[in-house]
Amino acid sequence: MNIKRRLLITAMAVGVFGATTGLAASAATIAIITPSHDNPFFKAEADGAAAKAKELGYDTMVLVHDDDANKQSELFDTVIAAGVAAIILDNAGADASVSAVQKAKDAGIPSFLIDREITATGVAVSQIVSNNYQGAQLGAEEFVKLMGEKGTYAELVGKESDTNAGIRSQGYHDVIDQYPDLELVAKQTANWSQTEAYSVMETMLQANPGIKGVISGNDTMAMGARAALEAAGRNDVIVVGFDGSNDVRDSILAGGIKATVLQPAYQQAQLAVSQADQYIKTGSTGLDEKQLMDCVLINADNAGKLETFALSN
Amino acid sequence: MTRIIFLFVCAVVALGLTGCKLVKNVPEDEKAIAADASGDNARTDQRITDTFHTKLLPYVRDRALTFAALRAALAQGLDVAGEAHGNRGSGAGAAWNFALTGTGVIVSAKLDTRARVADLDMDGDGAADVTVQLGPVIRGNALRDIAPFYNFDDFRDQIEFAKLGRALNDQISGAIQLPEGDLIGQPMTFTGVVPLKKADEAIIVTPISVEVTP
Repeated sequence: MNIKRRLLITAMAVGVFGATTGLAASAATIAIITPSHDNPFFKAEADGAAAKAKELGYDTMVLVHDDDANKQSELFDTVIAAGVAAIILDNAGADASVSAVQKAKDAGIPSFLIDREITATGVAVSQIVSNNYQGAQLGAEEFVKLMGEKGTYAELVGKESDTNAGIRSQGYHDVIDQYPDLELVAKQTANWSQTEAYSVMETMLQANPGIKGVISGNDTMAMGARAALEAAGRNDVIVVGFDGSNDVRDSILAGGIKATVLQPAYQQAQLAVSQADQYIKTGSTGLDEKQLMDCVLINADNAGKLETFALSN
Repeated sequence: MTRIIFLFVCAVVALGLTGCKLVKNVPEDEKAIAADASGDNARTDQRITDTFHTKLLPYVRDRALTFAALRAALAQGLDVAGEAHGNRGSGAGAAWNFALTGTGVIVSAKLDTRARVADLDMDGDGAADVTVQLGPVIRGNALRDIAPFYNFDDFRDQIEFAKLGRALNDQISGAIQLPEGDLIGQPMTFTGVVPLKKADEAIIVTPISVEVTP
């Protein structure tokens, strides 16, 4: 009986010890979960995070949720089961992602959010997001200047489920609506998509042939709009985008699209990994949960310094 | 039995009435503001009421450097100057904000725009040293970002945070009055806030007060 009990205790001790070593071994992995890498913006995020994690001595699990909250939830189950040390997340929906992040927290795994906010605080350790509103104001100020403060214009809006679509649109109008001689004649979503933006722009042009400018919620839609305008021989129409992609950079340098706003995606992802590292080592980042990063206006003056969502000095 | 039920109903009615009275007695300014986006404007108005005249304006006036002092501070490097005299906006990459006051001579002005500006010579060499925003469109969030008591973590999200910036600018925009006629050569006295991301960046002032005194 005594022996049996002792054996049992020993077995338990081994079990506990085994579990601890198991955790310690996998403590070297950081999970990086983003939307699809088809959009170079998200690829830049994942690359930036992975590079920083590697530099700090971590293994990485790089996964994509394709903006599907259910898939994101499954990915969280996977990385929780794998016992990762931290999760870097660009989430699949402000409301829908709260439960996934909470699930990780309950399992003792801290999450560090980038790019998009979630609607709860105290669940993630950090939420580092681009100041989309400030960026939109910058883009709109440049747009207003390019338009000479007057004329008719159209707006392409992003995917409605993405909070940044609404934030950018509000930021644009916060500035543009202070100019009474600028008139919005068409406003439509193209769901962040280049091909969709192309056809939306064609339709808009038919209904409003006198249009003088187009302000777009992101760069891929700006590229689509610009292509449609070119096809219609309307190279004079002013197009302004948002994100700071290499495609739009090249268009700006070639005299096509006039301006965009850089979100420092690469740097942001790196910052999130540094904070995760700090948290893993000390139990605290020493910073507020919600952190903003300022966006930067890109036009012909500085487009040459832009490469993969980072601006060199 | 019926009597008991009746008494019970009476009690419920009485309680209900008491409840009504309590609600009526809640003072106007303590009414709950919706926690979601629909409460943004009410919260922004409340913040303006609570802080604009009583905290923000005195804060800027009390910390305002002269142009010479700002230039001397910046010569030590932006971060050193900022730690000593400024406040940084929320988030990485945000500008340092400095309060500045002084009188300069208007050397050029752009008034045929919604975002009017005047360029001032502050040191008598005839060249423009600072640009003062004159509205009605005021750019940026310098008035919000110089104040350590407006902290992004206290806001619902970046939209609500931005709404405060805009509301502060609107307070100023409505108060700026310029004399008729040519401004060139006139002295302008101002107090305001300068946001800087680089020490050698153009100095653009978001004013809290502007006066042209011929």
